[in-house]
Amino acid sequence: MDTSSPSAFVNGSLMRRYIGQKVRTVIQVVGSDVGSVVGKSTDDLQIIVKGSPPTTTTPSTYLEVIGIAENENSIRAEVWTNFGNSFDPVNYNELCKLANGEFKHLFI
Amino acid sequence: MQTSVTPDAISAVLSNPSFDSSSSDRSEIVVQVVDLKPIGNRYTFSANDGKTRVKAMFTASLTPEIISGKIQNLGLIRLLDFTVNDISGKSTKYFLVTKCESVASALDSEINLEGKIEDEAGAAKRQKLDHSPMSDVVSTGITLKPKQEFVAKSASQIITEQRGNAAPAARMSMTRRVHPLVSLNPYQGSWTIKVRVTNKGVMRNYRNARGEGCVFNVELTDEEVRKLIQATMFNDAARKFYGRFQLGKNDYEMTLNENSEVEEASDEEMFVPETIFNFVPIEELGMYVNQKELIDLIGVVQSVSPTMSIRRRTDNEMIPKRDITLADESKKTVVVSLWNNLATGIGQELLDMADKSPVIAIKSLKVGDFQGVSLSTISGSNVVINPESPEAKKLKSWYDSEGKETSMSSIGSGMSPSAKNGSWSMYADRVPLSQITSNPSLGEDKPVFFSTRGYISFIKPDQTMWYQGCKTCNKKVTEAMDSGYWCESCQKKDGECRLRYIMVVKVSDSTGEAWFSSFNDEAEKIIGCSADELNKLRSEGGEVNEFQTKLKEATWSSHLFRTSVTQNEYNGEKRQRITVKAVAPVDFAAESRLLLQDISKKNTSASH
Repeated sequence: MDTSSPSAFVNGSLMRRYIGQKVRTVIQVVGSDVGSVVGKSTDDLQIIVKGSPPTTTTPSTYLEVIGIAENENSIRAEVWTNFGNSFDPVNYNELCKLANGEFKHLFI
Repeated sequence: MQTSVTPDAISAVLSNPSFDSSSSDRSEIVVQVVDLKPIGNRYTFSANDGKTRVKAMFTASLTPEIISGKIQNLGLIRLLDFTVNDISGKSTKYFLVTKCESVASALDSEINLEGKIEDEAGAAKRQKLDHSPMSDVVSTGITLKPKQEFVAKSASQIITEQRGNAAPAARMSMTRRVHPLVSLNPYQGSWTIKVRVTNKGVMRNYRNARGEGCVFNVELTDEEVRKLIQATMFNDAARKFYGRFQLGKNDYEMTLNENSEVEEASDEEMFVPETIFNFVPIEELGMYVNQKELIDLIGVVQSVSPTMSIRRRTDNEMIPKRDITLADESKKTVVVSLWNNLATGIGQELLDMADKSPVIAIKSLKVGDFQGVSLSTISGSNVVINPESPEAKKLKSWYDSEGKETSMSSIGSGMSPSAKNGSWSMYADRVPLSQITSNPSLGEDKPVFFSTRGYISFIKPDQTMWYQGCKTCNKKVTEAMDSGYWCESCQKKDGECRLRYIMVVKVSDSTGEAWFSSFNDEAEKIIGCSADELNKLRSEGGEVNEFQTKLKEATWSSHLFRTSVTQNEYNGEKRQRITVKAVAPVDFAAESRLLLQDISKKNTSASH
């Protein structure tokens, strides 16, 4: 497993801790523009992802995005993965909280 | 203090559209409580002011006073606070009494101030059998005003008349003209009414200052204007006519004169009796479980069981019971237990017509928690097969168009599972495998049920995976001498049989591993094909061993299992046996939620 470039699990409010660092998060697509996608984080904050998604993204699809956090609400994407339409954002949000909280030591 | 009823009070209230129960005059209204009966946790009655009756209901807050005997049937109450409401959908009104005080306890009989006949004669008519001849043929009990709902008739009158105390007016009875109830009045010589019995009370024995007697009430509904008459029959009349009145069946002609007889009318059009049903959809039954409130149900009969004999714990008597399964548009089913006469009478009728999927409506069912939700009839329950109502029509057409084919689930299966039947919830009683294997005494007396999530870690390829089963009853068949298979229980031979799985698989999870026994339906889900198909693959040779591939594909697949744990004795040794009762695919979102719950539980109890 390649651990040279770890990415932290974040939701909208955790992004600010990792500005300039690699993060990963899941957003629900709200809309898209040329060169960027606007999405809703699992804790209902707006996130802008710069780059081009793999396929034409339709609203309400879930996308996992790995990239550098440019500021507290935007990411420059390197990897996109389509997570489909049935995804439980609540579970993911809890994961982010645990991974940055008491179980941080289990995560890179 | 008033010691009797306030005559005309009721008609005054009913005829005053702007009646305000907070005005001062209403504090003087004293009525007699008649026909007190419980509906759920509230009591309904008829308020009698001596001249008029009106349907009424006590709010639930007054129930304790009735139960304690402060408010009694045939007693007098002063209405302190009440409202006049409409009976839903009809123009008739009823009193909803929220506050009242008892003025007198139960009187001997219903008060009646109507007509020119003196009180004592009137009273005497109601009580005794041996009356002096009456010139007024019709009892003073009948007062018919357009708004009125209940009219009591003392039908001891019938007996009097039958004893041949003919009055001149009685000869008019020869015309036998049928009168609608509304036109009856005390001054008519004799009259014939055509009615349907909408409710029949039980025969009650009573004893009062004047002696003993027996009485029963019967509610009669008239076709034209749907007014109700309540006939109260005493003693001889009661005994004579009790058997004759049959609930809901035919129209009766009741001719009240000296030749009073109750006869069944012939071939007239049927009409709908006015039993008021308040149906609860099956999917909403959950909130009524173990509550005192009785409910009404309408549904399509899916199945009818044979009669069972149950021993009543209280007196060791054997009573008949029959279970029927009903379905409705909520796409849920429920089991209703019919007891006693309903099991043997209507229950048998339903069994005979079960294949026609009749609609039945049942009034007054008790809701219990056996197997989640169970319904039972009580002595006051009322069952109507294929009622002529809009709900029944709607239900029937739904069933015929889609309900028949829809697979429906029992309402009880979603509820808290009982250890006895172990309803197959995949989330209840969730354990890791180690919790089962580490406790050898599990399932010692009776099976214990768990749900678990795990991976199939190993399927032994050279085990006996199946048996030869009868195509009809699934039992094991034996090979007949001359080809074919013989089924001992069906007592017949079939050229073919059907292979059914019976295998053990190893299951693992993060805590350990265990051997699970699985039967046909569950194994089919695990392997992914039927036993016959797998057998075919096994016997096929060739380079690619499809049989092994199939087993390999099934290995390391994860599933949710519902299992039962029992103890078996094996060569003198007690062994734990885990049997798969149900298999389901893993719902990852649900499992994640469970894990999150587990984590937070551990956090609150852990000490760092």
